[in-house]
Amino acid sequence: MSEFLQHLINMLVLGGTYALLGIGLTLIFGIMNVVNFTHGVLYTFGAYIMFIVVHQLGINFFLALPLAVVAGWLLGAVIELTLLRPLRGSDIDTTMLVMIGAWIAMQSGTLWIWGGVAKSVTTPFPEAPLVLGPVSVSWLRLFVLAAAALLIVVTYFLINRTKLGCAMRATFQDQDTASLMGVNVDLIYTSTFAIGSSLAAAAGALLGPVYVIFPQMGDLAAVKAFAIVILGGLGNITGAVIGGFILALAEELGAGYVSSGYRDAMGFLIIIAVLIFKPTGLFARSERVG
Amino acid sequence: MIRTFRLVPTIALAVALLGGAANAQTIKIGVNEPLTGAFAASGTYVVNGAKIAADEINAKGGILGKKLELVIEDNKSNPTEAAAVAEKLITSDKVPVLMGAWGSSLTLAVMPKLMEYETPMVVETSSSGKITTTGNPYIFRISPPSAIEAAAFKGIVDKLELKKVDFLVINNDWGRGTAEDFSKMMKEKGITVGAVETMDQGAQDMSAQLSKLKGTDSETIIVTTAVDQLTLIFKQAAALGLKKRIITTGGSQNPDQIIAQAGAAANGTMHLTTFLPWFPDKTPNPEATNYFITEWKKRGFDFAGCTESFRGYDGIRTAAAAIEKAGKAEPAAIKAALWDIKIKGLNGDIVFRKSGPEGKESGQSQPNVYLIEITDGKIGMKTL
Amino acid sequence: MKSGITILSVVVFASVPLWLRDPYLMNALITTGIFVIGAMSLNLLLGFTGQLSLGHIAFFGIGAYVSALTSLGFDVGLPFGLRIVHTPWPPIAGFVLAIAIAGLCGYLVGLLSFRVRGAYFVIVTISFAEVVRLVALNWVELTQGPLALTNIPSMTIGLPGLGELTLRTKLQNYYLVLSVALVTYLLISRLVHSHFGRAMRGLMENETLAVSVGIDVTKTLTLAAVISAGIAGAAGSLYAHYIRIIDPEVFAFINTVTMVIMVITGGKGSLAGPVVGGMIFGLLPVFLRPIMAPEAQWIAYGGVLIVILFVLPRGIVPSLAQRFAKRPGRAEKAAPVAFSERGVKEHA
Repeated sequence: MSEFLQHLINMLVLGGTYALLGIGLTLIFGIMNVVNFTHGVLYTFGAYIMFIVVHQLGINFFLALPLAVVAGWLLGAVIELTLLRPLRGSDIDTTMLVMIGAWIAMQSGTLWIWGGVAKSVTTPFPEAPLVLGPVSVSWLRLFVLAAAALLIVVTYFLINRTKLGCAMRATFQDQDTASLMGVNVDLIYTSTFAIGSSLAAAAGALLGPVYVIFPQMGDLAAVKAFAIVILGGLGNITGAVIGGFILALAEELGAGYVSSGYRDAMGFLIIIAVLIFKPTGLFARSERVG
Repeated sequence: MIRTFRLVPTIALAVALLGGAANAQTIKIGVNEPLTGAFAASGTYVVNGAKIAADEINAKGGILGKKLELVIEDNKSNPTEAAAVAEKLITSDKVPVLMGAWGSSLTLAVMPKLMEYETPMVVETSSSGKITTTGNPYIFRISPPSAIEAAAFKGIVDKLELKKVDFLVINNDWGRGTAEDFSKMMKEKGITVGAVETMDQGAQDMSAQLSKLKGTDSETIIVTTAVDQLTLIFKQAAALGLKKRIITTGGSQNPDQIIAQAGAAANGTMHLTTFLPWFPDKTPNPEATNYFITEWKKRGFDFAGCTESFRGYDGIRTAAAAIEKAGKAEPAAIKAALWDIKIKGLNGDIVFRKSGPEGKESGQSQPNVYLIEITDGKIGMKTL
Repeated sequence: MKSGITILSVVVFASVPLWLRDPYLMNALITTGIFVIGAMSLNLLLGFTGQLSLGHIAFFGIGAYVSALTSLGFDVGLPFGLRIVHTPWPPIAGFVLAIAIAGLCGYLVGLLSFRVRGAYFVIVTISFAEVVRLVALNWVELTQGPLALTNIPSMTIGLPGLGELTLRTKLQNYYLVLSVALVTYLLISRLVHSHFGRAMRGLMENETLAVSVGIDVTKTLTLAAVISAGIAGAAGSLYAHYIRIIDPEVFAFINTVTMVIMVITGGKGSLAGPVVGGMIFGLLPVFLRPIMAPEAQWIAYGGVLIVILFVLPRGIVPSLAQRFAKRPGRAEKAAPVAFSERGVKEHA
């Protein structure tokens, strides 16, 4: 029983960051209909920013986090402006392939600059865990959960309570009408991509110190993000949050009770299963497939 | 005047022709190591150690009057790539001898290429028994197979009062081979072997395996993997409140790095290593050890890496000694010469004894194995 | 004109071993040739049917593993106490089985494509490849997992009893790969110019219209997927028996990306495109090796892909063909073209 509780605790922590990843991608995929293969690179980018800021610039760990989010936002905006805006109107395949090209180039660039040896980020938290009866959880992971929760709440607020968020939702529902109503679609697109990217960077910045940081770390994260988006339904933020926790739960239970080697397979299996049996996702309110 | 003018170009032409006629200006040793992927940290240490050896040799005049050149290639911690790298080094760079390939699965993948192209390789780190027992006469290993590690460990098993042990090993030839050899030894000593958990070389999250091991009734866990994963294991074990005794094997642990990154979680852990950079006087060759460590620090490398980089150092010196003895940079001659060399390595004498099926024996040296313990963030020796 | 170039190319390729002695370059040509076959098979799906299947390496890898395991033999336990023991068969049998089983997987993917389309299809195909990779990695009893399948025997031609020729040397393997590549090229060429080929292209151009003239979407897509997967499986088998070691990294996404770059750069929807693209990206790393680190090369390849998509979206071969086409003033469509280099004559 205590093992199960331990898995549950692990799931909560992991789920929070997965939710961030998923929200970021569901916004981009949902509003812009772009299969964003650079999402994983942004995740890696966020982690490396943490490393640079904490270890090479010597800045406080807690300040590094917002810096990583901002850096992710900037990089996302740059990608959108240079690669996606010129391709607006092209078919989805071309955009997808351009994203793949960007992913390859950026990941190789990371490898070239930082080398293949994994980096660790020292955190200000004590090593000894917080023990609650039969389960333990490290302070770092609690912080990660709290920070993720905070960012999710902020995103909710942004999407549902601000004018920008309203414009984004309008563009998601009907781009042409939104533009007729005076929404600057170009600006919305850039903002969406930037915000989505900053969330991916945040996820990387939070999880990087928990594990280790290396150039290919984003690959798995990217696919998991897609799993969450598909699970939760395109453009559905609540769905993405729940999807993130479901994925984390599937991974923890799968790894704990079935086989640890298949932990990372859970995401893929979920994608395949959902797309075969319920292609619109578990929570999608509107039909949007293909 | 005119005669000089005619003489100079003639001399220049002659020099150029003679220079071109000399086969190559350098003697090459191929280095096949993981510089990216799961073993990147370890492979990089080994390569840096190798460079120290190469520079030392070149400073003393090189080999056979020529400069020694290391041709370094990255096998990406992947067996298929390791084989491809060996092919590249042998057919494109024309190296007469290699050192590599760090991991047991990587070395095993390279072995058929050595047979195909009849080129010898000095194995500096791999510990799977299969490497020297499957009949490959081109293999010359200076690191201990896990059976030797287990045998060395036998002596202290009683002192540690082990009753039941679990294993947490990396899922490849190295980890599985270690679990097998150590289990065999334990059972002979009457110790019960409990769970054997494996982890993928790229896995970052071992909390599932650790949660399971937390719940078993054994008091010791033997862990075998490379340093990046070890650091994660210690951190995650601490986060789970896992209180069992942890012993690591394989010599790729970098205890200093573990102390630095796992902090208090490292206390009470023990490690089977093949080098003692912290106690140069206890090594078989204190003078050489001091030289190596000084050089290492001079280059600004992380001291923690010494436990692994010395293998690169010894490996290159072994290959160089064989080339020197052979008198030419030619694979067959080097292979024959390897059987005749005896040099003082940082971990003991390097001299190869026959190992494996008759007629196709590999060479295996007999390195030392040490057991160290981390207490209060400091490293101390435990006599085996 | 076109067949002239084709025949000339074949002659040039066939003559290579007569003047190229460097074993390292021969090795590069052989592996490039294998990837060209893979690229041609991807082109069938991507260029002629318009399905962006990004899990293509799964068929290649499945073919490799099936062929390797057939020729090595295996002994695995299954659920419910079952045990399957397989004694080694000649590699040529592995080759045939690789095509069959990869084709079967292609069938399954084809079925899937009917349920999900567009971006979702892409994601599903990627997931499929990753699941296969993880199975290969974890089912150690069957596949040896990360320990890799080693000592895979070289390909043989012939049947036991009638006489077998083992293809061990680089020279023999080169001609084997060249032959299979040629057969593949001819096969795809016939297919594209047939009634079925027109159905594929019709589907790609305008699905609703194609359906309205009676083209069966599922059947066409599925058949294309089966053939494409089968060819990829054949390439995988050749790969397994040439480099003689296979590990789960063969399923890595980067290998699909490599084939995609080959097809897109060379020209999707053209017959020679994947060959040209394949030769470029298969041999470029060999020539760049002394001057550029591999990471730097990949930055360049990513950049090249982006540039091609912006500047030459149809790829090198169709753009060149357009340049030399003897039809001045013909307006070319912006959408990907699946017509042969000779220009349009048939209608869908």
